[in-house]
Formats: sequence, C-alpha cells, structure tokens
Amino acid sequence: MRIKLVLGRSRQIVMLAALAVGFALFVSACGDDDDDGGGGGDKGSGFAGETGKQKASKCGLGNGKKASGEPIKLGAINTKQPGTDFTEIAKTAEAYFKCVNDNGGINGRPVQLVQQTEQTDPAQAAAAAKKLVETEKVAGIVGSTSIIECAVNHKYYEANGYYVIGSGISPECYGTSNYAAVNMGPRHSVTGATQYLIREGVKKLVLLQSKVPGTEYIEGGFLALAKQEGIPTESLAEAVPIQDANSVALKIVQAAGDGGGVVLNFTPPEALKILQAAAQQGLQDRVKWACSTPCNTDFLADALGTTFDDKLGVNAELSLVSIDEPDTNLYKEILKKYAPDIPLGSFSQFGFLEARIASQAMLGIEGDVNKESVNEAFKNIKDFKTDMLCKPYYYRDGPLHIPNNTDITVTPKEGSMVEKESCFEISDADAPIKRVRDIEKKEGNYTPVE
Amino acid sequence: MPSWDEFQPFIVTGLALGGVYALSGVGMVVLYRTTGVLNLAFGAVGAMGALIAWQAINEWGWAEEPAYLVCVLFGGAVTLLYGLIFGPPLAGRDPLVKATATLGLALILLGTMSWIWSDKARSMILPTSTENFTVSDILVNYTQVLGLAFGVVVTVGTVLFLQFTKLGTAMRGLANDREITATLGVPVRRVEASAWLVSGLISGVAGLLLSNLVGLDAATLTFLVISSLAAALIARLSSVVVTLVAGLVVGLATALATPILSISEYRDMAPFVLATLALLWLSRKGHSISGRAV
Repeated sequence: MRIKLVLGRSRQIVMLAALAVGFALFVSACGDDDDDGGGGGDKGSGFAGETGKQKASKCGLGNGKKASGEPIKLGAINTKQPGTDFTEIAKTAEAYFKCVNDNGGINGRPVQLVQQTEQTDPAQAAAAAKKLVETEKVAGIVGSTSIIECAVNHKYYEANGYYVIGSGISPECYGTSNYAAVNMGPRHSVTGATQYLIREGVKKLVLLQSKVPGTEYIEGGFLALAKQEGIPTESLAEAVPIQDANSVALKIVQAAGDGGGVVLNFTPPEALKILQAAAQQGLQDRVKWACSTPCNTDFLADALGTTFDDKLGVNAELSLVSIDEPDTNLYKEILKKYAPDIPLGSFSQFGFLEARIASQAMLGIEGDVNKESVNEAFKNIKDFKTDMLCKPYYYRDGPLHIPNNTDITVTPKEGSMVEKESCFEISDADAPIKRVRDIEKKEGNYTPVE
Repeated sequence: MPSWDEFQPFIVTGLALGGVYALSGVGMVVLYRTTGVLNLAFGAVGAMGALIAWQAINEWGWAEEPAYLVCVLFGGAVTLLYGLIFGPPLAGRDPLVKATATLGLALILLGTMSWIWSDKARSMILPTSTENFTVSDILVNYTQVLGLAFGVVVTVGTVLFLQFTKLGTAMRGLANDREITATLGVPVRRVEASAWLVSGLISGVAGLLLSNLVGLDAATLTFLVISSLAAALIARLSSVVVTLVAGLVVGLATALATPILSISEYRDMAPFVLATLALLWLSRKGHSISGRAV
C-alpha cells in the first residue's frame, strides 16, 4: 500500500515535471524575434498644418479629384504572428495610396494594395507571393516586410519580372537584384552603431543581440569594422525574452571592461530591460552604450527617464519624425487623416516612404500602367530625394541594392529622441557596403555626405 | 573564467532573483498541497497586476502606493475567483488536468495583456529601485534586498502559519487526505479558498518585484513561473523550506553562469537541470514523496 502510494505520487510529480518542460518549450517558441524597425514614435511632434513651418509635400497629383476606373493592383506580404507584427507598414502604405486616390490617383486610376500575411512559414510566404502574382495579378510588390519573404520569394520575383520596393530583414533583401529596401537592415544598423562607439574612442567592443536565426549575418559588419580598426571584440547572443536583465547588464559591462563600448540589437522592450537594469546598478557610465535602429523610439526614451540622456547612441535609418520637413509633414498628415490608429515611428515611416516612391515612379509612366510598365518604372528610379533619408533612394540595375547606406545617430533626451550625429556613411569595411558603393560610383548613384 | 571579484555582483542579482523564485515557489507549493493544483498561471496573474499598476500610475494619474496595492489585490482576486469557479468541478480530477486548466488561464491572461498593452517598451520603477547602498564596491538596491527578504519572510511565515494556526492545520490535513479531513468537519471549500487567495496575493507581490528586477513585459513575467516551478519540483511540491533553498540555488546558479561566456547562452536550462538532478537523486535514495507541508 505504502509502495503503491509512493509510486503513484512519484508518477504525478514526473507527469507534472513533464508538463512543466512542455510549458518551457512553449515559452522558447514564444521568444520574440529580433527585427529591424521598432517604434521611433514621437508623441510630442505636431502636424505640419498645425505647428510646422514647412509646407507638406503633395500626395500624387495633389489636385483633390477622386480617382476612378479599374484600380492598379499592388501587393504586399508582411509577417504577422505573436511578438512580430509588420502589418503596420503595409497599412501605412495603403493610407498613402488612399491619399493618392483622393488626389487624382495615378493619372486618374486608383491604386489598390492587396495585403497578405505570413507566420514565418516558407510555404505560406511562397503561397502568398503566388496568390498576388497569379491570382490577383498585381502590377508591383510594394510595402512588404517579412522575416523570411525575401529569402523565399526573391527567385520567383526575379523569374516573373517584379522589382520589389519594401523594407527588409534577411540577407536576401540586401543581396539580390530585385529588392531595394528603404531601410538598411539590422546588419548595417549595427555597423552604424559601432561606428558611433569608435568615434567615442572605445577600447573594446561588445555586441549583444537576441539569439535568433541570422545572428552570424548581423554580426558580420560589426566584426569587419572592429578588425579594420584593430579593436578587440566580443559577440554575444541572449535568448529572448530576457529573464535576468540585471545579470545580463553586468555581463556585458564586464565583457567590455573599462573604456569599452556595448552595442545592443534587440526589440525595444528587450533593450529597455537591459538599459534599465544597467541604470539601476549604476552601470550607465561604466561603458559607452549604443543601439541599432529598433531603440529609436520615444517610448523607450520616455521609459528610460533621464538616466541615459546623451549616453546612448542609437543608429537611426530614417530621419526623426519630429523634423519639420515636407515629406515628414505629409507623412504625419496622412497618418492623422487616413490611419489615426497607427503610431508615428520607423515602421509607419517605412510604409509611407515605400508607397511614396512607388507612386511617384508610377506617375512618370507614359501609356498603359501594367505589370511591365510599373516594374520598369520602379527599376528606373534614380535620385529620389526625400527628407526621410540622408541621401537619395535609387533602384537601377545591380546584383544587390542597399540604397539606404547613410544615416544618423540619435540619443534620448528628456523622454524623446533627438539627433546626436548628422548623416554619416555606413562603413565600407563591411564587404556588401563596399560593393554597393563601388556600384554606386560606377553607375553615378553615389552621393557623398555633405 | 571570471575572477572572484567579477563573480561577486552576480551573487547579489542571483540572490535577489532567487528570493522571488522562492517566494513564487512557496505560493505554488502551498496551493498545490492544499488543493492539488499546480498553478501555471501564477506568473501571468502577477504580470497583469503589474501592468494594471503601470496603467494606473501612468495613464490614470494614480499615486504609486494605491497602484501597487491594486497589483497585489488583483493577484488575490483573480486567483481566488478562478479557485472558486473551477476548483470544485476539478477537485476530483487528475493533477495533470488541474495544471493544464491553469495553463488555459495563463494563456487567456497573456492574450488579454497583449491585446490591451501591446508589446511596447514600458517600465515601472519602485522607489526601492532608486535607493542604493554599497557592499564591498557592489551596488545593491533595496528592491534586490526586498526580493530576498520577501522570499525568506514568506517562507518562515508560511511554516509558522501551517504549524500553529487552525487554518494551517486544516490545510495540512487537506494535503494529507482531503476526504478524511472533510469527514472530520473541516470546511474544505473555505480552506481551499484561503489557499487560492494567499497564493494569488503572493503572485501579485512577485509580479511587482519581478517587474523591477526583470522588466515590465507580459510574456517575460508570465513565463518566469518556470524557474519557480523548478524550485517547487526540487522540493517535490511539498516542503516550503526546501522550496526556499531551491529557489535561491536556482537564482544563484543562473546568475553565476552568466559571466562565464562559454556557458552563458545555456544558463536558462539551469532550473530544470537542477530539478532533474534533484529528482533523480531523491529517487535513488528511495525518498517518499508524500512529505509534510512544511
């Protein structure tokens, strides 16, 4: 009887332990992916028409006439899953097209953005592209941002003559002929953050990023630049969500040592945990701190209080949303009128810019607007100037595209992000950047920083 | 390998976190011994309480103290409500079924938190997190002290409560045999409701402390229950004293593995490695699992 009782309860404990392990596995599956983008919101910025001095740009023809007739269909594929939702980007692009449609459309015809989502499933991403191309017969792909889509679909798009205008994450978004993202992606943003630390005179560099597929790709530029500068490095990865931020903050500060610098590449909530833990342990002055683009959000700046004011350099791939410039003012007006639920920030900036570039290109088409003419127009984009980027966007022919390879550094100040360093070139110590610059110079697309 | 000087700050972070693991573990063990329910929603309840406190302070303009109180009371109220509604119908079911039911509550709360608060970066700094003192060049804040102190105080308090109060004796009776205890006239439902309430209040306190020690993030706080669960499993879901020690060991082991860069990436598995080793060792020794609830 006693033995039976012991065995019975032992079995219960083992079963509950097994359930707990299952729970743990579920947790690891729920770890959020690192992404390039983040917020970049600015709760304090006003709309151009209300507080700005600069007049906003016009959307489309800017004539106030409703477009009519058969719509020009464009397509977008975005990742949407627990912890990672990029649909805000396509929704902002859609908002821009609504504005275009209210202002004469593309030479009278409205634009319709067909949106698909995927859950980091290659088969699903491939099916979404096939549906857009073969069922919806879209004329172009604009507004896509996906963890895997570039890798899965780039050959399909190449085979079908599509030139994608999107924002990217995976290497294929920056290393293939038919993608030209408006952002530069995590690898080059980390390089930009590293450059900031080198200018700050650090003696050792530590990169800490989330432990997700692609960490080797992202650390590539960081390692190449440090090697060129002769600075010792440590590249570390941390499983997310981080459960012991105090220990993690201590670890990276110890790894960097006195006079060292730390680059963080995490989503805003995870980066905040580390920075806040560092502040609570008085570590904010022990090393120099930098962060890739996702930290460029006023939510993070606000949550940090003033502890990291002017002590954290954040690489920002697009301009601050608080600037008073024509395109940025139009972006804020469009969000206010057509998508009031979407916050100001990097993601919505991506969507706006992609839609604006595509619309301006399509407005230049003479004759029928169809798949061939749209993609020809996209491919021929050159010298597209906007106040959201440090230098003009371009597409053109080329085995790879990283048109956004010059950006700025921002820093928290009293709850908002402010500019700390003006436009600088991402270092060509990293081979893909060197290759792109060589192509730019050869093709006449190179614009030196003023 | 880091030097001893480099290890020292990790002892502080490990003890602080370990104290909260112990606190949570004790709450889970008391509930399990009384009701037979392994509450996997413990972390989610604390997380939601902490987010409500954040909302109250930052969006509704409340003072900090009542907001913190709401966090703790929310934990007690939700857990008690769950216990009152689902406790009786699940009373006769297998412990695995009862635990899985709480997993459902955890996922509902997690979904609700994601829906209401999204995944934006937030923080809630307790006044104790901004006050520091130094121990041989190591900066220690009072939230870290609270983490450890609460773990110890709640454990000692629980032991005394179970040994010397009428309700505690009733809980121990339920832990040994529910049916016999009921036939002796013990108001089973009221005793169980007390256990649900106490466990819930502890989850609220743990949520508040962990939102400072770890971060105010729904998913993180929800799943931190795993480390506490490991401590409870090491104590074979019976002894609160062993749970305290196990919680501290889990916290310390995880923290001390952090600066060793070659194994740092794998330290998240430390709680379950320790739990597995402890269970294997105890099985080899032929220990009875039907331990006493102290």
